[in-house]
Amino acid sequence: MPLSYAELEKFYESLVARARRRGIACAITSGMACVAFGVAQATQDCDLLCAPAAAGKLLGLLGEARLHGQPPRYRGHLTPPLDARWLRGGWTSHFVWDAAGAEAYLDIFGVAPRGSSPWEAELQGFYAGPHTVAEMKRTNREKDWPFVTALGVKLLEAGDPRGWLHLFNYDVLIQTAAKLSCPAEMIALRPVLGLLAPGEERLEVALKGEIEFWNQLDRLRIRVHEHAVRPYMLAVKRDRRANDPALHTQHLVRVEHAERLLPVNPLRQHGLERLIAEAQAQAARFVQPGALDWLPDVRGCFIGLSE
Amino acid sequence: MKAAKAKPAWLTPGVLRHLKRVEHDFHVRAFGEEMARVNFLPLAQRRRYVAEMVDHAVRKGVKFDKPALGVTP
Repeated sequence: MPLSYAELEKFYESLVARARRRGIACAITSGMACVAFGVAQATQDCDLLCAPAAAGKLLGLLGEARLHGQPPRYRGHLTPPLDARWLRGGWTSHFVWDAAGAEAYLDIFGVAPRGSSPWEAELQGFYAGPHTVAEMKRTNREKDWPFVTALGVKLLEAGDPRGWLHLFNYDVLIQTAAKLSCPAEMIALRPVLGLLAPGEERLEVALKGEIEFWNQLDRLRIRVHEHAVRPYMLAVKRDRRANDPALHTQHLVRVEHAERLLPVNPLRQHGLERLIAEAQAQAARFVQPGALDWLPDVRGCFIGLSE
Repeated sequence: MKAAKAKPAWLTPGVLRHLKRVEHDFHVRAFGEEMARVNFLPLAQRRRYVAEMVDHAVRKGVKFDKPALGVTP
């Protein structure tokens, strides 16, 4: 009998509860967190933030976690090992429980992509805080952007001025600014908010520029990782031990190959300044001249990424 | 959603009412009337609705898993 969403949700939440009892800092993020925050999304997989230092403990816990009697396994050959070194470098480890009719997918991050503050500092129950979730939703997928704005409004309603940083919808920004002034410290973090003056026609163009820039930054980030993972993926694919039924063996095989072939931190290796400049250059191809004049300084949006 | 700190002075009842209106209008525009309704349901009902929606989709063969690329958007 297929596993229901409610059972799946309970399974993930109990995993987080057990992890925390063992001292593992972790939190559910992305789609499931959005449902909890009042922006419903149909999702079935679970994205989990985990403090990189606790990667070993979490692996131990996963090794014991059964779903309909099935243990999990590493998903595919591209999956980096669940190890502090690679988690700190921005990699995601993927796991699956695939009992017949009861599949569960778990993606584990050590670093929240685009995070500008430590996610561990603002948990809400089983979930990462809405500020972190909103930053993680600034992806190259068009469907994610309304969720960002919706979370931004939620933050303002909760009295958190950082909500201003997440309003990407023109109408919402204008309507919000009609009753509320944007604090100077938010404008400093996000210059486009300085265009909220009445009659300012550049705001809409600048918002499109911002979204296109984030879109390109995410696309390039993924491309850098995809390029870096290739030799490792080929080695894991060739190694029969990678498919051993024991999770511990699957892990050791991946660590063995990763130590030789998988760069710990491909983004730092590529250069963050270079990545940002490339994203700006790419974005410039798709937006009006001047649209990128109000971009934020995103060098602070790589928090947690190892040096 | 709980506020991290005490309610700031700028968050007057009038501002909050205004934000709620802006939010509701946006949810209708961005997600459609049905999902906007769901988004303003109490958490337990919202989760139940999402559960039914996902379970129905799964029964119809929809796959929700993302590719495992070692990096996630």
